[in-house]
Amino acid sequence: MLSAEKNRRLTQVGPGTPMGELLRRYWWPVATHDMATRVPVKRRLLGEDLVLYRDGNGTVGLLAEQCPHRRAALWLGCTEQEGLRCGYHGWRFDESGQCLEQPGEPAESTFKDRIRATAYPVQELGGLVFAYLGPAPAPELPRYDLFVWEDAWRDIGHAELPCNFVQIMENSVDPYHVEWLHGRYGSFLRELDGRGGPLPVVTKKHVKVAFEVFEHGILKRRVLEGHTEEDEDWKVGHPLVFPHMLRVGAAGLATFQIRVPIDDENTWHVWYQTYRPEGGAPPQESVPVYEVPLRDEKGEYLRDYVDGQDIVAWITQGRVSDRTQEHLGKSDLGVILLRKLYAEQMDRVASGLDPLCTYREPHDVIDLPMEKDKFGSAVEFRQLWTRESSIRYSPIKDEIFELFGDPVPAWVS
Amino acid sequence: MNFCPGCGASLETEASFVQEFWSGADRNFLCWCAACDLLSTVVLPAMIVSHEPEH
Ligand code: FES
Ligand SMILES: [Fe+2]
Ligand SMILES: [Zn+2]
Repeated sequence: MLSAEKNRRLTQVGPGTPMGELLRRYWWPVATHDMATRVPVKRRLLGEDLVLYRDGNGTVGLLAEQCPHRRAALWLGCTEQEGLRCGYHGWRFDESGQCLEQPGEPAESTFKDRIRATAYPVQELGGLVFAYLGPAPAPELPRYDLFVWEDAWRDIGHAELPCNFVQIMENSVDPYHVEWLHGRYGSFLRELDGRGGPLPVVTKKHVKVAFEVFEHGILKRRVLEGHTEEDEDWKVGHPLVFPHMLRVGAAGLATFQIRVPIDDENTWHVWYQTYRPEGGAPPQESVPVYEVPLRDEKGEYLRDYVDGQDIVAWITQGRVSDRTQEHLGKSDLGVILLRKLYAEQMDRVASGLDPLCTYREPHDVIDLPMEKDKFGSAVEFRQLWTRESSIRYSPIKDEIFELFGDPVPAWVS
Repeated sequence: MNFCPGCGASLETEASFVQEFWSGADRNFLCWCAACDLLSTVVLPAMIVSHEPEH
């Protein structure tokens, strides 16, 4: 168990909380590219209500929801050539929050010069809009490889999950769950539905797992039954990227799962995929974005696929998992290491230092380690992942199958 | 766990981290001390098992 006080410290993300202050030192995806348009939209990040818009000049802005005049919501507003105009009385603001115009005030008034909306810096990269809610100066937006590769296709799935982000991150340092949640439970559902035998790949048993803190977060390694330490699952491994991402994939298929805290009890989950076969992919005009459904037409949680099984495990732990009631064993050492890493990094921020994965220098690309042959075979992993992950909802799924040209596996019923 | 086994500082401060886990019948506490940065595991063993040299 963990004490109630430590659990709160680990999971509260609002302004002024230790975790909230740590998380405010990072750039967060606040939207997909298609959400930033002339129509202002409401977003919520780290417990703060925000409004995102793109003005006539193409400038993207992110302002606190409430207008500084008399507090109407700024999503009730019109984008102008420059800036966002509040719908209530027409005050207009630019992306720095500066008030540009107060139509009702006397023409010679300088009142507007003293008015500022709360505004946060934003940057677009790889089809996502990133925001920084922390103290100035903002660090560099980390240019992780998947966001910047030029010869890859991409697609982005997303969903709002009704639970705290830490329990989702803990799943990424919990390798054993794969053989049970996806291997045993997933196969059990296939049995019940008469969909054939157990899935390959995810049913392999773990012989040994290891975790090490390194410059990008926590590197995970595993040896599966029938494999050795010479296999890439052990030799290379793949990282939990601190504080908010999982990197997972195999040759040609590399993905991030990005866990964006909306507030203490909700997380915006982004499945960010890149498809990059040998020799690169042909140019892609724009990055398709799709929503990942949580429930079927009967209102039941979808769990007939790998990502659905993960989602239901995370959600059923409770809005904020009550860690005073849990019983950790040795197989939870990865989870424990992650909690300790959060604790340590909160303390760094409290002492005025930059936390892990802060980039202060401009850079081209940050390459992350990831197995090419995963669970023994890149092709087998791709065959599985393109069907059993949220990619099954991608509007370009068929083109992705064609791009790789992998044969249809026998287990597809 | 109330105190760091390395430096004796209190582990009940806001910043320090103590996490219980079990290994068989042994109760373990992973402790990270914010004062001296020591990472340690304190084991409350169910019994002490020694070895017996060949003889
Ligand atoms: S066995 Fe791990 S949550 Fe139930
Ligand atoms: Fe999983
Ligand atoms: Zn100490």
